[in-house]
Amino acid sequence: MTMTFIIIRMGPIDPVSAIIGPEGGAAQRSQIESRLGLNDPLWEQYTSFMWNLITFNLGQSWVIQPGRGVYSLLGTYAPRTLWLGFWSVLIALFVGIPLGFYAGLNPNTTGDYFASFGGIVWRSMPNFWLAVMMLAVLRQSERFFFGLDWHTFGVEIGSLVGQPPLDFFGVTGWTTIGLLSIPSGFYFSGTTLAASIKQVLPAAIVLGSASMGSEMRIGRTAVLETINSNYVETAKAKGLSNRIIVWKHVFRNALIPLVPIITNEAFVLIGGSVIVEVVFSINGLGYLFFQAAVQGDLPLVGSLMFIFVLLIVGMNIFQDFLYTILDPRVGYER
Amino acid sequence: MSRDSTMKRRRFLQATGGAASAVALAGCIGGDGGDGNGDGNGENESGNGNGDENESGEDVDLGSGDNILNLVNSTMTTLDPIASTDTASGSVIQQMYEPLTNYPNGETEIENTLIEGVEQSDDLLTYTFSLVEGAQFHNGEEVTANDVIYSWRRLAESENSSRTNFILESTFLTIDHETETQENDEGEEVEVVVPDSLALEAIDDYTLEMTLAQPNANALELLAYAAFAVIPEGYVGDIEGYDGEVDQSELATESPVGSGPFQFETWNPDSEAEVSRFDDYHGSVANVDGVHWQIMEDDDSIYTYAMEGSADIFGIPTAQYDPDLVDAETDDLGRQIGTYGPLENGETAQYNGVPQLSTYYLAFNAAHTPQAVRQAISYVNDHDELITQIFKERGEAAYTFTPPGIWPGGQDEYESFIEDYPYSAGETDRESAREVLEEAGYTQDDPFELTLTTYESDVFQEAGRILRDKLSGIGIELQLEEAPFSTLLERGTNGELAFYSLGWTWSWPEADYGFFGFEPENTVTGEPMQSGETNGYYLDWPESDSDAVEKAQNAWDQVEANPEPEEGLEARNEAYVQIEEAIWEDAIMMPLYHNLEERFHYEHVDIEPFGGMGGYQVVYNDVSLNE
Repeated sequence: MTMTFIIIRMGPIDPVSAIIGPEGGAAQRSQIESRLGLNDPLWEQYTSFMWNLITFNLGQSWVIQPGRGVYSLLGTYAPRTLWLGFWSVLIALFVGIPLGFYAGLNPNTTGDYFASFGGIVWRSMPNFWLAVMMLAVLRQSERFFFGLDWHTFGVEIGSLVGQPPLDFFGVTGWTTIGLLSIPSGFYFSGTTLAASIKQVLPAAIVLGSASMGSEMRIGRTAVLETINSNYVETAKAKGLSNRIIVWKHVFRNALIPLVPIITNEAFVLIGGSVIVEVVFSINGLGYLFFQAAVQGDLPLVGSLMFIFVLLIVGMNIFQDFLYTILDPRVGYER
Repeated sequence: MSRDSTMKRRRFLQATGGAASAVALAGCIGGDGGDGNGDGNGENESGNGNGDENESGEDVDLGSGDNILNLVNSTMTTLDPIASTDTASGSVIQQMYEPLTNYPNGETEIENTLIEGVEQSDDLLTYTFSLVEGAQFHNGEEVTANDVIYSWRRLAESENSSRTNFILESTFLTIDHETETQENDEGEEVEVVVPDSLALEAIDDYTLEMTLAQPNANALELLAYAAFAVIPEGYVGDIEGYDGEVDQSELATESPVGSGPFQFETWNPDSEAEVSRFDDYHGSVANVDGVHWQIMEDDDSIYTYAMEGSADIFGIPTAQYDPDLVDAETDDLGRQIGTYGPLENGETAQYNGVPQLSTYYLAFNAAHTPQAVRQAISYVNDHDELITQIFKERGEAAYTFTPPGIWPGGQDEYESFIEDYPYSAGETDRESAREVLEEAGYTQDDPFELTLTTYESDVFQEAGRILRDKLSGIGIELQLEEAPFSTLLERGTNGELAFYSLGWTWSWPEADYGFFGFEPENTVTGEPMQSGETNGYYLDWPESDSDAVEKAQNAWDQVEANPEPEEGLEARNEAYVQIEEAIWEDAIMMPLYHNLEERFHYEHVDIEPFGGMGGYQVVYNDVSLNE
C-alpha cells in the first residue's frame, strides 16, 4: 500500500491536471489542491491515507467520479466484473478440465490430438484479438451462420456490447425478527438470467479461453502422470474396476497440481480483464482501476489495491484449505 | 507405453506448429487492428488496419422501436455544471441545464435561451438581462434572477467549482468582485473571492444586472458555456448563506435539477445514462421521449453498437473508416453534408462533417531545443502526408495556430497568409533541414538528441515515428515516448517536456481566445504562478533569445492596450497575426491539424447538421425519429 501511495503521489501523475485540463489557471489549481488536501505535508497525507484504509474509511473518488464514494463505486462496478469472472472461470473449469482428463485417459488417440491441439490454439489466441474477432463475427452473424441472427437467437438481447442485466434476482420484501432482518420475498426472472448469461457469454469465452487451454494441458499431463504411477498399477493388480480407479485414485490426485492454477486464474480474472471488459463495454473493476491509476485518483486506486490485496490473501487461504480436502498428506495437525 | 508416446508426440508437435502459424497468419490478414485509441481529448478515434466491407447488404433491424434517441458517450465524470470539464459530461449536461445563451446545434452564432434580450451600458461594462417569464425548473419552481445569481456565485465561490477562472479571471469573463487575502494550509497568502461580492443584482424577478471589471467583446458567448447554467436558488449548500436541499455529490450524481428540455432519469457509471422529456419546458418541447447514452470507450465496441443498429447517431472509428465512402457537399458554413455508405450492415448513413475550432500541435520548450533544431523539424514535416496517411483525411492541415474559420479578416486573408509558410509546405525538405542543422553544428556523427512526448495515442506516435525516420541521418536523433494526458500537463507545467503534442480547443469562436498562452513572459514554466494568471503553453519562449520573442511580446502588449470590443478589434487582430508570424520565425510551435468532427446517423433520424462549436453542444429537443 505504501508503494501505491509513493507511485501515485510522488510520481509524475497529477490529479489536479486531470481535473482541470489545459484551460485551468493557477488560482484554480491551488483551490483544487487545497480541496483535495494536496497542500498538506506528504507525511500527513500518507498517515491519513493509511489510517483511512485500515479503518475501511475508503472515502470518495477525486477524478474519475467525483462525489461518489468508493463503496458505491465498488457496488456498481464489482458485480459486472464478478459476473464476467464467474462465467469465464466456470467455462474454463467445465470445458478445460473434462477435456484434459479425457485426453489424459485416452492418450494418443484422435480425440486426444483434437483436444490437445484445440488447447494449444485457445491458449495462444490473444484476448484482445479474439475479442475483436468475436464481435466482428457475431454482429454479422447472419452472414457467417446461414441467416442465424445472434441477437434474436434464443433470448433476444438488444446489443452485443454493454453490461449484462443483473436484476434477474431481487429481494422484494424484508421481515424483521427481533434485530435480524431477513428477506421474505424474492423474485426471479429466468428470461433476464438467460439474457444476462447470453450477454456475458462471448466475453467470458474470450476471457476464459487462455485458462481453458492451460487447464486442459495441465489436466492431461496430471492424469498421464498419475495413471502411470505405481499405486494405480497396484490398484489394477487388486482388480479394481476402471471406474473406481479413475474416480478414486486418478481424479483426486490429478487435481492437486490444478488447484493453484485455478485459484491463480481467479484473481487474474478479477484484476486483469481490462482489455476484454473494454472491448465488450462491460467496464468493470479492471477498467475502473486502470482509469484511476493513470489519472492519479489516489483514494480510488488505494482502495481498489487494498481490496485486491485482501482478495488475493483470501484466495490463497482458500487454496490452502482446498489442499487439505484433496490431499490427505496436508492437514492442520502436525 | 511411454516409449511410443514420445515417438508420436514429436509428430504431433510438428502438426500443431504448422497449424498454429496458419492461424497467426489469418490474424494478420483479417485483423481489424484493435489498437485504436482516443487522442487524449476523446474527440477523435484512431487506429490502423482495414475495416472489412460488406457487399451482401442484408437489412438490419434498426432502432429499438420506442421513441428514445440512442447515442454513444464516453466516460462521464459529473453532472454538476460547475464541476464538469469534459465533453462527455458536457453533452449530457447540455440536455438538462440551460445557461442564458447557447450555441444552437453547435453553430458558432449564439442564441438566447433563458433571456428575452440584453441591454449594454455605454461604458460596455453593465449588462441588463431580461429573463424569460414563466420558465420552469424540473422541480416546478420558476426561474428568476436570484437563481441566476445563486448559480453564478456557486461557479465563483464553491470549492466544487472547476471553472472559477471563467467568471473571475481577466482572460475570460471578469465579473466585478472583491477579493480578500487568506492564508492557506501551507501558510502562503492566496487571494480568494469575498462571498456574495460579485457585481450581480436582481432588479426584479426577471431583470438581472451584471457589471464587468473590464469590457469583454465575447461576454454573451462566454455565458453560453455550460458552467454558467442555472439551477434553483439554494439547491446545494456549498456557498455561504445557503444550507442546501441536497449535497453537492447528490446533485453531481443522482438528482440534477435544471431548466433544460430534458430531465434526469438514470446514470449508471461507465454503463449508461438516460434523460426524459420535460413537458413543461419553456422553449420547444422535445419530440423524442428521451435520450439514452450507452457509455463505451473501445473502438470495436462503438462500431459494433452502431452497426447492429443500437445507436441512432454515432461516430465511426478511424480503423473502420473509409474516406472513399463519403459523398458530401460543402455548405455555406463550411460544413460537409451528405451520405456515407454502404456501411458494413448494408445501410447508408447520413453524414455530417464539420471542421472544428481546434488545433493539434507539436510544440517545443525553448530551454531544451535550439532554434535550428526546431526549424529543421518544421522543414521535414509534411502536413499533407500526415493528413492522408494517418488521419485518413479526417482533418485539415494546420499551418497556423488559429483555425481558418476564425482567422482575423476571414478565409481569403488566411489563404494569402499561409502562402508564405517558411518551412516548405506540403513536402519533406530534408536538404534545408540539413543546412540549418549543419550551420548550428549538428551532423549525422554528432546529432542533437531530443525526446518527443505525445498523448497516449497511436496516431501521434505514428506521426512521431514518421518524423523520426525523416530526421535520422541529418543531425537529430528523436526518441518517442507516451504519457497520459494529466501527466503530460503536469510535466509541461514543470518545464520537463522538450518536444510534445497537445491541442487547443476554442471555447468561443473568436481569435482572441488562446493567444494569451503565447505571451512570452507567460510561457515560462517551473515557477509558481501568481493568482489570476492562466497557464501559457509550456514553451519557455524567452529562452529562445530571438527577435521573434520580442515581436510576440510587443504584439501581446498591443493586445492588452486595446481591450475595447469594437474599436480595439483591428489593433488586436493585427497583433494576433504578428504573433503567428513570430511563431513561424522561431518555429516554437508546429501546428499539425484542425480536427474534422464527423457525425453519422441512420435515415430515420431527423436532425439538423451541427456546427463548428462541436457536436457535444447539440441539444436534442428538435430531433425526431421516424421509425
